[in-house]
Amino acid sequence: MRKHTRAALLCVAAALTLTACAAGKGGGADTGAAAAPGKDDKLTLTVWSNYSDRELEEVTKALKTFNKKFPNIEIKHEGSQDDDKITAGIRSGNTPDVALSFTTDNIGQFCSSGAFQPLKAYIDRDKVDLNQLSPAVQEYTEYKGNRCAMPMLTDVYAMYYNKDLLTNAGIANPPKTLDELYDAAVKATKKAPNGDIEVAGYLPTMGFYANRPTILAPTFGGVWEKDGKSNLAGSPGFTEMLTFQKKLVDFYGYDALERFRAGLGQEYSADHAFHQGKIAIMIDGEYRTAFLKAQAPQIKFGTAPFPTAKDVAYGTAFTTGTIMGIPKGAKNPGAAWELIKHLTFDTDTIVDLSNAIKNVPSTKAAMESPKLDVDEQFKTFIDLAKSDKLKGNPVTPIGDAHIKAVTDFSVSYQSGKVPDLAAGLKEVDKNIDDQIAKSGK
Amino acid sequence: MTATLGARPAPGRGRARARHRLAVLGFMAPAIIGFVLFFLYPLIATVVFSFTKYDLINAPEFTGLDNYTFMFKDPLLIKAITNTLWFVVVLTIARTVFALGVASVIARLKTGVGLIRTLCYLPSLAPPVAATLVFFMVMRPNGGPLDTFLGWFGVDAPLFFSDPAWAKPGITAIMLWISGDLMIIILAAILDVPQEQYEAAELDGAGPVRRWWHVTLPTISPVLLFGIVNSVILALQLFTQAVVAGSAGSGAADATGSTKYLGFPDNSTLTFPVYLYTQGFRYFDMGYAAAMATVLFVISFAVTIVLVQRMRKNSTAEEGGPGA
Amino acid sequence: MTATLTKPPVDVPAEPEQPRRKRSTGSFLNWVATHAIGLALGLMFATPVVFVFLTAVMSDNQAFTADLWPREWHWENFVEVFDKAPLFQYLVNSLTYSLLATLGMLISSIPAAYALAKLKWRGRNVAFILVIGAMMLPPQVVAVPLYDTWSSLGLTGSLVPLIAPYFLFDAFSIFLLRQFMLTIPQSYVDAARVDGCSEFQALVRIIVPMAKPGIAATALFCFLFTWNDYFGPLLYTGEVKDQWTLSLALATFKGMHIVQWNSSMAVTFLTMIPAVVLFVFAQKSFVKGITFTGVKG
Repeated sequence: MRKHTRAALLCVAAALTLTACAAGKGGGADTGAAAAPGKDDKLTLTVWSNYSDRELEEVTKALKTFNKKFPNIEIKHEGSQDDDKITAGIRSGNTPDVALSFTTDNIGQFCSSGAFQPLKAYIDRDKVDLNQLSPAVQEYTEYKGNRCAMPMLTDVYAMYYNKDLLTNAGIANPPKTLDELYDAAVKATKKAPNGDIEVAGYLPTMGFYANRPTILAPTFGGVWEKDGKSNLAGSPGFTEMLTFQKKLVDFYGYDALERFRAGLGQEYSADHAFHQGKIAIMIDGEYRTAFLKAQAPQIKFGTAPFPTAKDVAYGTAFTTGTIMGIPKGAKNPGAAWELIKHLTFDTDTIVDLSNAIKNVPSTKAAMESPKLDVDEQFKTFIDLAKSDKLKGNPVTPIGDAHIKAVTDFSVSYQSGKVPDLAAGLKEVDKNIDDQIAKSGK
Repeated sequence: MTATLGARPAPGRGRARARHRLAVLGFMAPAIIGFVLFFLYPLIATVVFSFTKYDLINAPEFTGLDNYTFMFKDPLLIKAITNTLWFVVVLTIARTVFALGVASVIARLKTGVGLIRTLCYLPSLAPPVAATLVFFMVMRPNGGPLDTFLGWFGVDAPLFFSDPAWAKPGITAIMLWISGDLMIIILAAILDVPQEQYEAAELDGAGPVRRWWHVTLPTISPVLLFGIVNSVILALQLFTQAVVAGSAGSGAADATGSTKYLGFPDNSTLTFPVYLYTQGFRYFDMGYAAAMATVLFVISFAVTIVLVQRMRKNSTAEEGGPGA
Repeated sequence: MTATLTKPPVDVPAEPEQPRRKRSTGSFLNWVATHAIGLALGLMFATPVVFVFLTAVMSDNQAFTADLWPREWHWENFVEVFDKAPLFQYLVNSLTYSLLATLGMLISSIPAAYALAKLKWRGRNVAFILVIGAMMLPPQVVAVPLYDTWSSLGLTGSLVPLIAPYFLFDAFSIFLLRQFMLTIPQSYVDAARVDGCSEFQALVRIIVPMAKPGIAATALFCFLFTWNDYFGPLLYTGEVKDQWTLSLALATFKGMHIVQWNSSMAVTFLTMIPAVVLFVFAQKSFVKGITFTGVKG
């Protein structure tokens, strides 16, 4: 009987301890700037990124250039750490000093929750000139004026076309307008006698490879937000994007298109459909030039800005990139900031890294550097990055939920399940607004 | 909790009863502690969190019923619930029947038992991520082995992980392929059926089918019931296969778990746990995730009650049943 | 009630069918049909595994093509994967997790299952319902507060949060063991009690030996569940690489950036081997256990 009571007490005690432990968490974000390390301070900086294999080595090399300034700081670089793991690390206290994130989708969350520390105090203290970065890049590294991240290289999206496939279809110049794109897509498409698609001129399926609403919308003139509300129905660009895609889907026939698409290889593999010559035109980021040269040297391809709805808009492109932040709970925030500053602004480091992993440099100085390797295909992206028509990621506090909502809607529209496009878009608007309202940020 | 402790002191009823109680308590003690620590406490905490806005970084903030009212505005949640219920019904039936069928065949084999048993069991040893990728490869159209095979008969393979109508059946096929564990358990139960019962039935002139129906099936019914419960759990918890099938199907197998590809195609693989994980661990909305968890708990509790009632009937039949 | 525990141990578990062998051609056809179905099933299950193996030895370029047979045999793929990731470390972690969890489960679940199956006490039904309730509960439901707790104890980033619960409570195993123990007639337990055995002795001497196939099956189940567990290690060790298990590593292995089907199939194949070896051993214990429990009612 005594045993019984004691066991019961033990349970209660244990439960209480656990509750107490759980309640003892939390606390406000640190807003001050931590002091920079001394020149000879000995410490270890942990950096997490989502790179792997060859890219991991190259980025590590770039990180090590920091030792020229601070020879005694040891840098530990861990790859394959995606946003989930960064978040988990912040929550459990196993945080790195610097976190690199591949997507800019979560920036709204990182900034507003304090998961990434605010950088304003550091920027003010060191009088950093943010205008060295293009406005679109500045946009996707902050949320509502709270800068909590800095860019490390950027991605710019443009059109890739297979020269042989276009030439064989009798198309001399890559398309510049949507009509030309449609025309090229139709002409370059090859069908087997039984109706199966063998080569698709341009694959309009939303969600396929880089066919993401964020990437495509700028070239159609889609504006995501107006007066703090989702603006899909209000912005003609989205209607135009969806109608254009639907027209092409109808040309292929939805079922035939789906069967063709389902048999294509994965986006980041040697079996990518463009590498295999199965699609003639696509939109993708500048990094694809490197993949193509390494994995499919037989493919002769060119790059150009993606066709736009209006002539004046030609040269509009979407940009996103790798971002760096100091997670809450980082052990050496002062030194972490120095490293971030180094990677964002040190021209030689940026140029070397850019040459190694074929991303677009994020500062104006680095883009002008004569040391930057720019071949014919890569030049398109550098030119786009320098232009003032660059558009960044719509930053929201709901991660990429809005992108998913639009992708889902586009897919149902393409499959013919949406009778009224305008009404449908309004519904998606409402859904996105609801989600933002729920997040309360 | 007192109910679980059970061995409530009833003063002075002999040493034997006290010893009995002590034995029960001793046997159950770790389980009771574990239950409180790993289920009761977190369950209560989950319900508490469901009334808050909580990102796991900043302290929770009380928001009343907000998370619950939002559910009615969330089309994806409805999708997720529908998908999970689909799996609960179809997967449970398919998996139990399939495992029983295979186990019954193996039980009748005389030569090569070990080999075939091992072959049938082998796939369930594949990690779920791998099993899903394998099936994606095997079932892909345009050159996948299944497509080639069906091509010999002039049939096109369905677009298993690309067509919303076929994605869930595709995942079900994966689950059947890796159902070797259940098969083995049922097989163990079938082989455990006392020989004498078959002999008695045979004397009564029962053929193999009738013997299977009247002797095997009733005797192994507790284990079959386990199979059903086990399958319901699998269906309610379906996570990995759905996530991997979604990203591979959309052509982004490298980005497993990226929310953009979740539920591909057309949210047909967005299961409740997947959506819950997305909201909690990706969109930083622990409060909403906790509210969803509470709903899921209520649903699984309801399923539990139904099953327990069936089991009660079963075990009353059992106690006076075949063994005695 | 007479109990015969003394059946001669026979190695072939196909005992029940024995008498029918004397019969006529009908049973021969039956034999052929059954074995044909068995063989077909075996092939059906094995084909994808063979496919995994064949893909594993293909070159990277061939792996996603319509080819089923490797043009060249790249055996080095199996070696190269060890350079790409510390697979031995992951293997040790996986074994630590699976073996300790299984051990813990046996210690905590056998007595509890016995109490639920064979002892009569007030609250037993409630307790059983709670076990089922716990079992039905998707892990995602309790993940948040548990994660919170473990992290405030500073134990996330290790295997402890995954293993510790098994030493106390594993609803699934308790349930499965109880179901197996139910198939053992109550009369055995009663007989043991009459002979003056304590409950503990009855459990150890009578129930455990008789429930051997069930215990072996439960242990195997537990081992495999933990071996293949993806959600748990992802949640608790995701950001700490030297604690990764094979199954988690495999998910990441197919490349954050590039999908290499051949390497990822090679790792898949390697991951399956330890579990297959275990199964071959466990299989023996099934067979032994099965020949042991001939029960006459």
